[in-house]
Amino acid sequence: MLAALLDFLREKHRTTPTWLKVLIPVLGVGSLGVVAVLGAVLAFIVTAWLGQPIPVLGFDQTIEQPIPFSHTIHAGTGVYENSLGDQVQGLGMDCTFCHRTVTTQANAGIPPVQFCAYCHQVIGKNESEPLTQIRMSAGIIGDNPQPINWKRVHRMPDHVRFVHEPHVRYLLDHPQAITGTSTGTNIGAASVCSTCHGDVASMKGTVTQVEPLKMGQCVNCHRDNNAPTDCASCHH
Amino acid sequence: MTLQREKRDYSWGMVVDVDKCTGCQACVLACQAENNVPLNLQDRFERARAMQWIRVERYWEGEFPDVKARFIPIMCQHCENAPCEPVCPVFATYHNNEGLNVQVYNRCVGTRYCANGCPYIVRFFNYWEPVWPEAFRNHLNPDVTVRSRGIMEKCSFCVQRIRRGVRNAERDGRKVVDGEIQTACTQACPTDALVFGNFNDEDSKVSKMKKDDRHYTLLPHLATDPNVVYLAQIDTDRSAGESHG
Repeated sequence: MLAALLDFLREKHRTTPTWLKVLIPVLGVGSLGVVAVLGAVLAFIVTAWLGQPIPVLGFDQTIEQPIPFSHTIHAGTGVYENSLGDQVQGLGMDCTFCHRTVTTQANAGIPPVQFCAYCHQVIGKNESEPLTQIRMSAGIIGDNPQPINWKRVHRMPDHVRFVHEPHVRYLLDHPQAITGTSTGTNIGAASVCSTCHGDVASMKGTVTQVEPLKMGQCVNCHRDNNAPTDCASCHH
Repeated sequence: MTLQREKRDYSWGMVVDVDKCTGCQACVLACQAENNVPLNLQDRFERARAMQWIRVERYWEGEFPDVKARFIPIMCQHCENAPCEPVCPVFATYHNNEGLNVQVYNRCVGTRYCANGCPYIVRFFNYWEPVWPEAFRNHLNPDVTVRSRGIMEKCSFCVQRIRRGVRNAERDGRKVVDGEIQTACTQACPTDALVFGNFNDEDSKVSKMKKDDRHYTLLPHLATDPNVVYLAQIDTDRSAGESHG
């Protein structure tokens, strides 16, 4: 039996042309590679479908801001290092102090640079590079004030009409619905915002989107809190 | 036959007093501006593919010089038994429990079955990517989705204004007051021919107007049970007979 099999293999080895002997292992290894690549693509699509895409191939969620604004120093309550290397006590400011329209309007709002200048025309050292840019933008230094082109981090698709006001209002009235935690001031808006925006008060460097903010997340929260799940509530 | 739906606070609807309509087309213009409806250039009309969420139909009556123009504004009737809804294979159009016939743009796959099913011809398909002149770039309404090519759109009863009104009422802990929410067309109408309101509120203006003897609905033999009610034109000539001259 074994001898017959060996004879068959010897015969095959003798009759098979050399190019086919090379091609067969190449195809074998190559197909494994194709399967591996397809598997990686499938894994990427599945993870991106369910949550945030894996940060490869430029799908990184980190967005560079024109000025390295520190949410930790402003909103956090610990001791942080600022751009000059000094140790600074976090201010623990409420989110709504700067993002003022969040309790009244659809957009949370980026404060105008003059708003920064209310404090920073006196607060902060002159050597600080970010503060110099802020003061130039506000027209305190120099005579060519230019607006700061902040990059948007949390962006809803165009077919979604998200309005901050009712969400913030509901979560302020119903603290049991808050799912996030904040290292900033745990009273007021900070813990409310952390439900969707994560713990911004502890984000060193630039702010990143931590929650996937897909429709499933919206609908689950709406179901749990007896909020409308009518399509026209958000899509119109 | 009307499907029994969950009783809600609001049942939005409109009453159109045809007797007051002068055919000025202000509603058409207001609707185009409010709802980011693409511009209708001449070739769109020539190919019968112009988009007007509300249109004013004109009829001529009589022979010159005793000729009369009659106008009737027609928008989505938001039928309770809508022929467009059951034909959608992806449930992109459905009836919500506030009486609105909702079109969900991001669900629509563009089969156009609904437009073929609609007897009022008020559904419009985006055959082209909408293009606005450069000067219009910042004129788009941020509360309304800009529809892209390949999906269906129609009058939404300005659902963005309804949502805003309900949201403001909820914030103040009250119900929506009659007349608080106006669609773009009712707001623009100079003669108040178009009135928008809540049919569930017995004291609302639309509920009172609906009780008028002149009321009728379009194509009633189809039993679509529209939420838009028309009040017929008062024909002074015909009632006065020949003596009117």
